[in-house]
Amino acid sequence: MRKSRLIAGIATALVAASTLAACGSGGGSGTDDGTLTFMFRGGDDEKKAYQEAIDRFTEDTGVKVKMIVTSADQYAQKLQAAVAGNKVPDVFYIEQASLQSYVSSGVLMDITDQVAEQGVDLDNIWPYGVDSYRFDGTTQGTPGGKLYGLPKDIGPFAFGYNADLLEKAGVERPDPDEPLTWDEWLKICKKLTQDTDGDGETDQWGTGLNVQWNSQSFVWSNGGDWTNEDHTQVTVDTPEFAEAIQFIADLTEQGVTPNPEQAQTLDTYQRFMAGEIGFFPVGPWDMSVYNDLDFEYDLMPWPVGRTGEPATWVGSLGIGVSNTTDLPEDAVKLATYLSTDEAAQQTLVDANVQIPNRIDTAQEWAAEVEEDDSLKPRNRQEFLDIAEDYGREMPASFTYGAEWYDELWVGIQPVLDGKQKAADYLAEVQPRMQELLDQSNAQAEQAAAAGSAP
Amino acid sequence: MTSTATPATAGTRPPAPDPAPAPPRRGGTSRLHRTEKRWALLFVAAPVLGYLLFILYPTLFALYASLTRWNGLGPMQFIGLDNYVALLGDERFRQTLFNTFFYMIGIPIGLAISLALAVMMNRKIFGRAAFRAIYYVPVISSIAAIAILWQWAYNGDFGLVNQFLGLFGIDGPNWLADPVWAKPAIIMMAVWKGLGYSMLLYLAAIQSVPRSLYEAAELDGAGGWQKFRSITLPMVQPVTFFLIVTQVIGGAMIFIEIQIMTPTGGPEYSTASVVYHIWLQAFRYQQMGYATAMSVVLGLLILVITLIQFRLNRRNAGFVVD
Repeated sequence: MRKSRLIAGIATALVAASTLAACGSGGGSGTDDGTLTFMFRGGDDEKKAYQEAIDRFTEDTGVKVKMIVTSADQYAQKLQAAVAGNKVPDVFYIEQASLQSYVSSGVLMDITDQVAEQGVDLDNIWPYGVDSYRFDGTTQGTPGGKLYGLPKDIGPFAFGYNADLLEKAGVERPDPDEPLTWDEWLKICKKLTQDTDGDGETDQWGTGLNVQWNSQSFVWSNGGDWTNEDHTQVTVDTPEFAEAIQFIADLTEQGVTPNPEQAQTLDTYQRFMAGEIGFFPVGPWDMSVYNDLDFEYDLMPWPVGRTGEPATWVGSLGIGVSNTTDLPEDAVKLATYLSTDEAAQQTLVDANVQIPNRIDTAQEWAAEVEEDDSLKPRNRQEFLDIAEDYGREMPASFTYGAEWYDELWVGIQPVLDGKQKAADYLAEVQPRMQELLDQSNAQAEQAAAAGSAP
Repeated sequence: MTSTATPATAGTRPPAPDPAPAPPRRGGTSRLHRTEKRWALLFVAAPVLGYLLFILYPTLFALYASLTRWNGLGPMQFIGLDNYVALLGDERFRQTLFNTFFYMIGIPIGLAISLALAVMMNRKIFGRAAFRAIYYVPVISSIAAIAILWQWAYNGDFGLVNQFLGLFGIDGPNWLADPVWAKPAIIMMAVWKGLGYSMLLYLAAIQSVPRSLYEAAELDGAGGWQKFRSITLPMVQPVTFFLIVTQVIGGAMIFIEIQIMTPTGGPEYSTASVVYHIWLQAFRYQQMGYATAMSVVLGLLILVITLIQFRLNRRNAGFVVD
């Protein structure tokens, strides 16, 4: 009796130990029964759309897919944990900014040849989207690099307006082809800023911008930029750059945007949806929500600075394939399917969470509004114009990490509060950003060297 | 059948074959003893293994990782003390270290308030049990939920805190967006959250002070304040020491409330704690090696501070907490 209990105890300990060991050594990825794992992030709308697209993939190919979905802000951490635990999903979302470190760490597979074998016409996919996931060992985003992912989507960040609000204020709808200058736009903003119920407090504003996400358009359109072409010099201390930041900061002083307290109470995104704000940015992912608003909204080119040309950023998220997958063929097939298949794309576009990845489908999508008056937004073409004409990548998309870029925002509040001049602040922050950028470039080199060594 | 039959079959105990006394029993050689020893070892093995696996191994691993350049994904590259050298010049690390120690101002404040509360709760006042429960609720609440609630309370425009101040004609600051007021705001929240726990420990300590001490003091004509100063305070000193040590350690690791209430580290990084900075470096900027070096330094700092506290405590009060 006693002996058997002892044996039971030892056996339990052994089982526990071997389980632990199994956890540690469980290499490879995916499951053994031919099921792919696909890890992504997104809200309910996206999840539903992807479920449909993946069901169709399984139907077409017979390959089963297990979906792992996380919330947007937890994704990067969870993916990193999966990599560290040797449980890399077969197919997963990859951010532009982490591509280089995932490539040099050997996590992402080079899928250049496999994608070509699938017979996909990459010329029909937005070049910005495809090139974002090309990396030639030193530079990311170049057409000649090897392909380490396909775009899940591209997100041209457009500018929009509340058409009802403009009409009520007697303002003409902005021309979709002729951008407003900053001054013209500011004048309209002032006209829209009103106290509609007469209680002595402003309750309707011209606009409500967020410096961290909207200043890019103003800086670029004014001829400024964050870095030089090859991302070695931080150039935020130029007059063009300072003028753009100052223009945004002064909007608060001009009263055409909710002040910081008001914006904290209800952020400007909520206020736009409540019909209190005239001009506001619109991303493709906003369409699913904005289309149900009880006012009409539409897109327009961003107001232009010194260059006279509108500018804005285009986001993108990629779909990559694990370097250690047991089913490389199926995994590449899934990534290609989600990125380029017409039916799969249609599901996602119908959910109003993105614009089509295929250029011909996108053009059809933009032209649909001519035939159907109920479709929104009317000026869908603006998204396409950004994608093929005046959109660029975010300043830190193709650098190794974004610490240098984030540094700009840490101390910018006094500028927005009017306590410090933009030019002074930028002169002060430039050396710190430069130092961080130098570090990041050095890391990129070391990572590349370490990655190619073994 | 003779008497030499085996006892198992005979069912009776045979006479001992050797009249000589049984050999002396040395400790631990009996079968019972040996089995129990084995069992004991097995039970001891569980925590020891746990310690090796979950404490010692990660610690050693961290020590090594802090000497490498590592992004948390790829191979580690040994670079000696470079991370520590870089740390010396890292302004942000110094700033977050300052912020973290600044938050500890809340510890003595919290202790004073909770001791006062404990004294009050010790009296027979109406609704005593209800009050005790109310003060303890924040302790068992999720820190994430509390942080979000306080974030609303601190809203510059419509937050409860500023509305309350408005009753007295005070125009409150925009707490979490103001580099001067953001840290005090977080201290207030932390003090509020910690009150119940400290109060409970103090209450237990006060109740275990022998009545006879107070009676003797009363006979000698001591007043309420004198009794508190000369009896209660020294008698609860071990609890005070325990609370200070644990709260300093806990305070050095403050993170969740910071990350939820000020997701970017606050205006001009004014609320970022060391752990927040470590987290950012490790998971956002993929500098796992550097972040590990910072956490090693933080760990050493906590160790040194705790040792100093033990030393001071021994010298001042003579109480030794084992």
